[in-house]
Amino acid sequence: MAVTIVHPGNENAPKAAEPPPRLAGVAGKRIGLLDISKPGGSFFLDRLEEILRTKYGAAEVVRARKPTYTKNAPAQIIERLRAVDAVIEGLAD
Amino acid sequence: MQTSPHLYLYKGMQQVEQIPAVPGLLPGKKAVLVFFETDCPTCQLALPYLSALSADSAQVIGLSQDDEASTREFVRQLKIAYPVELDRELKITRAYNPESVPAFYLLDEGGRVQSKLVGFDKEGLNDLAKALGHAPIASSDDGAPPFKPGCSSRHLEPQVQSAGPRDGIHFLRRVAEPASRITLKDDIDPFEYCRSKFGDALPVIPPTVERVEAMVRAVGLAPESVIARVPPVYGEATVEKIAANAVMAGCEPGMMRVLLPLVRAACDERFNIHGVQATTHFAAPLVMINGPVREELGFWSKQNVFSNVARANSSLGRAFQLILLNIGGGRPDGIDMSALGNPGKFSFCIAENEEESPWEPFHVTRGLGREQSALSLFAAEAPHGVSEHTAPHGRTVLETISFALATVWSYRMCLVPEAIVVLGPEHAKTIARDGFSKGQARQFLFENTGVPVRYYSATERAEGTQLAANYKEVTIRGESCYQKFRSPEAISIFVAGGTAGKFSAVIGSWATGPAGSQMVTYPIPDK
Repeated sequence: MAVTIVHPGNENAPKAAEPPPRLAGVAGKRIGLLDISKPGGSFFLDRLEEILRTKYGAAEVVRARKPTYTKNAPAQIIERLRAVDAVIEGLAD
Repeated sequence: MQTSPHLYLYKGMQQVEQIPAVPGLLPGKKAVLVFFETDCPTCQLALPYLSALSADSAQVIGLSQDDEASTREFVRQLKIAYPVELDRELKITRAYNPESVPAFYLLDEGGRVQSKLVGFDKEGLNDLAKALGHAPIASSDDGAPPFKPGCSSRHLEPQVQSAGPRDGIHFLRRVAEPASRITLKDDIDPFEYCRSKFGDALPVIPPTVERVEAMVRAVGLAPESVIARVPPVYGEATVEKIAANAVMAGCEPGMMRVLLPLVRAACDERFNIHGVQATTHFAAPLVMINGPVREELGFWSKQNVFSNVARANSSLGRAFQLILLNIGGGRPDGIDMSALGNPGKFSFCIAENEEESPWEPFHVTRGLGREQSALSLFAAEAPHGVSEHTAPHGRTVLETISFALATVWSYRMCLVPEAIVVLGPEHAKTIARDGFSKGQARQFLFENTGVPVRYYSATERAEGTQLAANYKEVTIRGESCYQKFRSPEAISIFVAGGTAGKFSAVIGSWATGPAGSQMVTYPIPDK
């Protein structure tokens, strides 16, 4: 006899957002660096900022830092980063 | 036609643009305009807070970026107490041009924008209330997070031709579609099918329609009622889907009255199950049961309390993990990134041995009545055993435990961790016999748990050293130490286990406090 079961899982799989268009290059662009506030993140991002400015000619590097790595970024930080051309989110440990 | 001063948008003192009138807005009075979308979870969280303001002198007007039907439903479900208008064709939105919603604009008596707030931000909402001469409207301990980013404003969505909710999960609804029925062909083994699709790597009981219906009947709620949305994918945990997972785990129907508050507790923002499920750390949610429900449903609190000893503990803990896995999507081979994991992810549920405890039960310490059944949730590491069979005095037993407590998270890391001390009944009785109340025992553990300052070296940069400037230096047993915990409340005492054997256990935490996971305690309804 056929067995019928009740689906026990999530049936509304979230849709992935379309990625925005890629930048052709970093030169002259405003780049955001989001530090998720894990230990060591600032060392990594300091160096990345330097490379973006000196080697790739970024016009501006906007630094932002989440209050905690355990939760989503607060609204104010997201707002600040809306104004840039691209954001690099920095994980580190 | 009367020209209202609110028909103009100002930047500083300069009128820059004529804007469409906000319906219902009266001149000569301060006002708060709030732009929102009906399907934005942050709007759904934020807008009810303003209902506390609307009875006051300020005018509050909600401006919906969506159609009439979904806006009416939004107002009804969230009991919005102030006027809400439709921003047809987003004309007012375009004039104010918020980047995201919810967006709050505080207007002075002349209609000038005094301040603006975007997203959900408790401090910002309280500042808004203050500017209107009102008491704070957002309490820090109401279960909502201090802040939550909003969604992109409709007028900035390039594909949107007209206002209307997008496709996708509707965060508002209290009732979901019925769960799908899956009919298996005769040549498919239902046990193997369910193990591979929905199991915890072990076989599960197939959640047949009949078994699930029996489980749902024990609740008295519609099967499609949404109990919570389970991170990290925010799947809707309906009564029926919780029941299906309970069947798979081997629960009896009576367990549903524990599972529903358990799922709600796990999805309490303070507990932060999103982070607990996704972290690289060891954390797994530990369920701690108190009160009459222990006897009623057979929760075990004695010997082998952490083991495979009782159906109630094992099946509840397993059902909970299956819910996190199947509905929340926290797959151990996917979003759950724990580097080493935790055996508690099969099942992690203990009950307090209240009968053998010399002190008040844990849920009473947490503020509930003794006769109230309750569950507490803690983002826990695996238990670390402490043996102390020779010390005759309670003080020495506590000191032995303090050495284990000093090692949670990692030895040099202070202030960040919390801990549960599961005291075996023999230890608890020795400690109480020597005159310690539960609070005094906790205070002793707090004062006597530390890490010698000599173990910290700025050049070695070991974990915990980076925070040393924040640590408090105290003298413990004649040695200069950093105090391990930030307060006595960071240590919880829970009495459990068998009456033979002088053992206790120390359980470390994940990141704690508002920046991590906070322990939550929920009542379990009577049968």
